Amino acid sequence: MSSLRIDWTRCDGHGLCARLLPEAISLDEWGFPVIGRLDDASSADVRTAVASCPRLALRVEK
Amino acid sequence: MTTLDVRTGVDDTPPLFTVAEPRVFASGHPEVPERSQQWLVEAAHEVRLLGRGGAGFPVATKLAAVRRGARVVVNGSESEPASWKDRALMRRYPDLVVAGTALVGAAIRSRRMVIAVSDGASAAALRAAVRRHGAPIQVHTVDHGFVGGEVGALINGLNDRAPVPDGVRVLPHERGLDDRSTYASNVETFAQLALLAALGADAYAATGTRAEPGSSLLTLLGTERQGVLEVPNGMALRHVLGAHTGPVLVGGYHGTWTTRDDLVVDRPWLRSQGIGWGAGVVAVLPEDTCPVGEIARVADWLAGQSARQCGPCTFGLPAIAQDLASIVAGDVVDPDRLRTRLGQVAGRGACHHPTGATGFVGTGLSAFKEDVRRHLAGLPCGRPVRGVLPLGAAR
Ligand code: SF4
Ligand code: SF4
Repeated sequence: MSSLRIDWTRCDGHGLCARLLPEAISLDEWGFPVIGRLDDASSADVRTAVASCPRLALRVEK
Repeated sequence: MTTLDVRTGVDDTPPLFTVAEPRVFASGHPEVPERSQQWLVEAAHEVRLLGRGGAGFPVATKLAAVRRGARVVVNGSESEPASWKDRALMRRYPDLVVAGTALVGAAIRSRRMVIAVSDGASAAALRAAVRRHGAPIQVHTVDHGFVGGEVGALINGLNDRAPVPDGVRVLPHERGLDDRSTYASNVETFAQLALLAALGADAYAATGTRAEPGSSLLTLLGTERQGVLEVPNGMALRHVLGAHTGPVLVGGYHGTWTTRDDLVVDRPWLRSQGIGWGAGVVAVLPEDTCPVGEIARVADWLAGQSARQCGPCTFGLPAIAQDLASIVAGDVVDPDRLRTRLGQVAGRGACHHPTGATGFVGTGLSAFKEDVRRHLAGLPCGRPVRGVLPLGAAR
């Protein structure tokens, strides 16, 4: 099963990913993404979120 | 217990002692025959040797994965402030460490061998041992702090990059020192490999448990007799703690507080119980210090050790440390929010630091829950915080 991974050294916590994928990503009290349940990591929405991350911090991992 | 080292006053090394027949502490100038990579892999597999740093990874697997000509990195930086075992080993038994390094280096036809240390006394002892041995081993002094002692960070530092963990983890056997395949492990691992090569797998396994043959070095803290101890694996912690009752810290500042009194030194078994042996620190708190204050002090130090690359670690650990300081001061703290914070920081960083640090704090709050409850109820114990648990002191 694949999953969504965050490179924590890159992520700056602006939270764009949580706005694009609200059903799977929430934000902690400091504004950093918390990955929740992700049924299909290869969906178009997930790909959009990965491609939109301004810091290239998101990736899908097998 | 038998005290082995009477050179107190030579430097600040704490006393060395044993509770049974010592191995490492009896090595002196060991005769270590040359062994092939295959021999070492098979022998390490047979005695189920685990790395003696934090992660406890099987040595055979790592050794089998490195390529011919691979680099060797011996991590003697002992960045865990509560731990002394690595420095005690390097200062008092440097020939064993050097023999183990040369053994691995020859087996994999290494092009470069480096021992990284963070204190002058260990560096001097090792350099003298390298001269006696004759192998081309470099001794490097590094000063990278707690997180910088993590192997990825250490290798980055040796490669003249910032000594912080990488965002996407690359294992040293893939790319390490000089960006080449590298066998990297804690300094005690190399000492154990030297003993294994000298004794052979059968004799090596004559002590210890079936799951983990051999002996281990540990740092004992807060007990009547403090210092560095060698025990055969399988030894009950009760046996080394003496009369002390109450919570025990196992592993160090990335470790676990527990109220169990049935623990034994056996990494695989401890792991099955949810406890990591980590850097081999075993600590208890004397009656005359405030345990909540002691944990808060370490939490504050841990927050300061974050390499500030990753948000949850950078912001979360100081928030947690602040909560603990408030509990100690008797201020109002929402314990549920603190629990949430601990859960939100664990596992969310490029290295093990946030997970290890929140584990230390979370299990500490549970183990001392009566004391925490009294503090939260506005009835702190009134005991001073003696600072039994050392923070990063001068090396
Ligand atoms: S969009 Fe990228 S940088 Fe922004 S919070 Fe999400 S992962 Fe982090
Ligand atoms: S998790 Fe913390 S200590 Fe580890 S690299 Fe990230 S910021 Fe640094």
